[in-house]
Amino acid sequence: MDALRLENVSKSFGATQAVDGLSVQVPAGSVYGFLGPNGAGKTTTLRMIMSIICPDSGAISLFGNSSAAAAKHRIGYMPEERGLYPKMSVRNVLRYIGAISGLSRAALDAAIDYWLQEVDLSDCADKKVEGLSRGMQQRLQFVATILKDPDLLILDEPFSGLDPINLDLLKDIVLRLRDSGKTVIFSTHVMEQAEQLCDLILLINNGAKVIDGPLEAIRAQHSSGAVIIEAEGDTAFIADLPMVGAATRQNGGMEVILRDGADSQDLLEALVARVRVRRFEVKIPCLREIFVELVRGEHE
Amino acid sequence: MNKILAVAKREYIETARTKIFLFGVFLTPVLMCGIIFFMHKMQHRIEHGPTSAQAIAILDLSGEVAQDLSQAFREYNKANPQRVMTPTIYEADKSGGVEQLKRKVREGKFAACLVVNEAVLTGTEPSRLLMKAKKISDMQTFQAVRRLLRDAVVNARIRQRNLSPDIADEIRRPVPVAQVDVTEETDRLGPPIARIMTPAFLLFLMFLGILGTSQGMLTSVIEEKNSRVIEVLLSALSPFQLMAGKILGLGAIGLTVVLIWGVVAYGVALSQGWGNLFSTVGLGYFLCYFVLGFLMFSSLFAAIGAACNTLKEAQGLMTPLMILITLPLAAWFYIVQYPDGPLAISLSFIPPTAPMIMITRLAAQPDLSIFQIIMSLVVLALSVPAIMWAAAKIFRTGILMYGKQPSLWELLRWIRLH
Repeated sequence: MDALRLENVSKSFGATQAVDGLSVQVPAGSVYGFLGPNGAGKTTTLRMIMSIICPDSGAISLFGNSSAAAAKHRIGYMPEERGLYPKMSVRNVLRYIGAISGLSRAALDAAIDYWLQEVDLSDCADKKVEGLSRGMQQRLQFVATILKDPDLLILDEPFSGLDPINLDLLKDIVLRLRDSGKTVIFSTHVMEQAEQLCDLILLINNGAKVIDGPLEAIRAQHSSGAVIIEAEGDTAFIADLPMVGAATRQNGGMEVILRDGADSQDLLEALVARVRVRRFEVKIPCLREIFVELVRGEHE
Repeated sequence: MNKILAVAKREYIETARTKIFLFGVFLTPVLMCGIIFFMHKMQHRIEHGPTSAQAIAILDLSGEVAQDLSQAFREYNKANPQRVMTPTIYEADKSGGVEQLKRKVREGKFAACLVVNEAVLTGTEPSRLLMKAKKISDMQTFQAVRRLLRDAVVNARIRQRNLSPDIADEIRRPVPVAQVDVTEETDRLGPPIARIMTPAFLLFLMFLGILGTSQGMLTSVIEEKNSRVIEVLLSALSPFQLMAGKILGLGAIGLTVVLIWGVVAYGVALSQGWGNLFSTVGLGYFLCYFVLGFLMFSSLFAAIGAACNTLKEAQGLMTPLMILITLPLAAWFYIVQYPDGPLAISLSFIPPTAPMIMITRLAAQPDLSIFQIIMSLVVLALSVPAIMWAAAKIFRTGILMYGKQPSLWELLRWIRLH
């Protein structure tokens, strides 16, 4: 089942077309990355999913529910611009967020204790929000998002400004949530984070979809057919093999571009027969390269 | 509904815990009682407190009242040993004339100089009291001397007609008159000053109750916008629920303030025996107008807060509203004196001024036409929901807008957006 489905959704602000005919399907139980440069329309899309703003046209359904507002209680949303009441205590802020999310007081207090423990904020429960460090406030914000145990988590740039320790803490929680059957959608412009976490991605630019689908499939699709080889002995014969299109030597190894339709497995067999192979790596393009290639391709 | 209540509860608790609120609620009545008490004391002191002896020169041009005057001064000094006035009586021919006495007053040798007119007994021309009037207490001196001259002249007239002292006393006996208001079953007594101050107090109470809490609304909305907590809230609530909760919570704050001050004021009135200045019907009207006025202004302030990024920006949009809120305060003295005048009646049917004007009129004139009361309530009951609806529209659009401050024209455009 799809946790989220967007069909041909558009939104403009005055003369600016923020989102242009976007269609997306997010399967339940996946980690889904919304990727794109700054100003691509990621935040606007997430806000429309949260029915904070209404799309000009198109349809949004959550868990098969055509009214997004009706499914609001199943979604935890962490906005890009973060903030909580600075003068309230950590516990009271969470109690308030829980109350407006429709949680009962008893369930709420248990959830607060559990999650504060999880993000290592138990000692701060009675401190004022303004007394917390930036990293602590980010963790608190995350707790505020997850408190109502949502089936779908929508995190807008969740990792920006986090130090490596907090980053790992958060990634770990996200992956655990996925494993327990939750769906996580997050936006980011940092491709490495998406690579580490996502099952599926959507790449948008100027409000429109550039590409979407399972991360591995996209990477395979954009594979350049390059193989990195390091071997002991004379490797000059490689350039003459039938499946090799081009071979260039580089720092002790060799980068080989395969001919169209050639299988890297055949190349490996040919190598093993004649030399001792130290390294054989089918070069898979990183998301950053695909992203730059596709976005640049759009501009040209 | 539970969500609205959760918002209202937070708004109430967080507001009630601020220092400004605590100061406002408890210190304002204490301060006001203190000021009234102090003024009362000062007044008493000016009228009855001790003063240094004042030298009064008396020039009797008539030659008829000098004896009676010094007798009157002696009696006055005996009755007011702390406010002695020492008269020096000049005869017309030995005084060196009015000019010389005037100079002595100017030089400060005398506090005042009473020049008794030649025809003082027939009373066609006024006598004059020459003084360097600077202080308010000089007024007291003037009134005391005038009273003494009147006593002396009456005595002289009685002697002139050879009337017996008994008859003279009979004539002089004061005639007491008490003002009784028969509008209601029980007689309304109480000093005229209380009759003027009751409408003023109720007006002030409503003004502070509405303005204080509406301003709380403005700062609360702008704070949520600035701290960016608003998006977290809107992911759980609709803008309508958020605004409704805020209005409810701050409305409860307003009622708390009004209740505390009202009870204090009622206690003061009871202790002075003016309990009948307040009535249950009046209280009912007050609550009706307060609630309607509060709903109107707080939703407008919520809309302004949502449309602006900072308090400073909000000032510009608030100015027209503030003029409407303070208009009844500027007009109250006139309204109290002419509660049925054209100004009072027309302001009663303009929604932003109606609540405060009506409450002033009702206190000033308890038998106000019931037709006008109903009409003004109908006008408010129709216009307040419309104003709230428009404000909610502006609130919904403005709450997520950052950056440029919208113009009044844009705000009107937002009302038409779906």
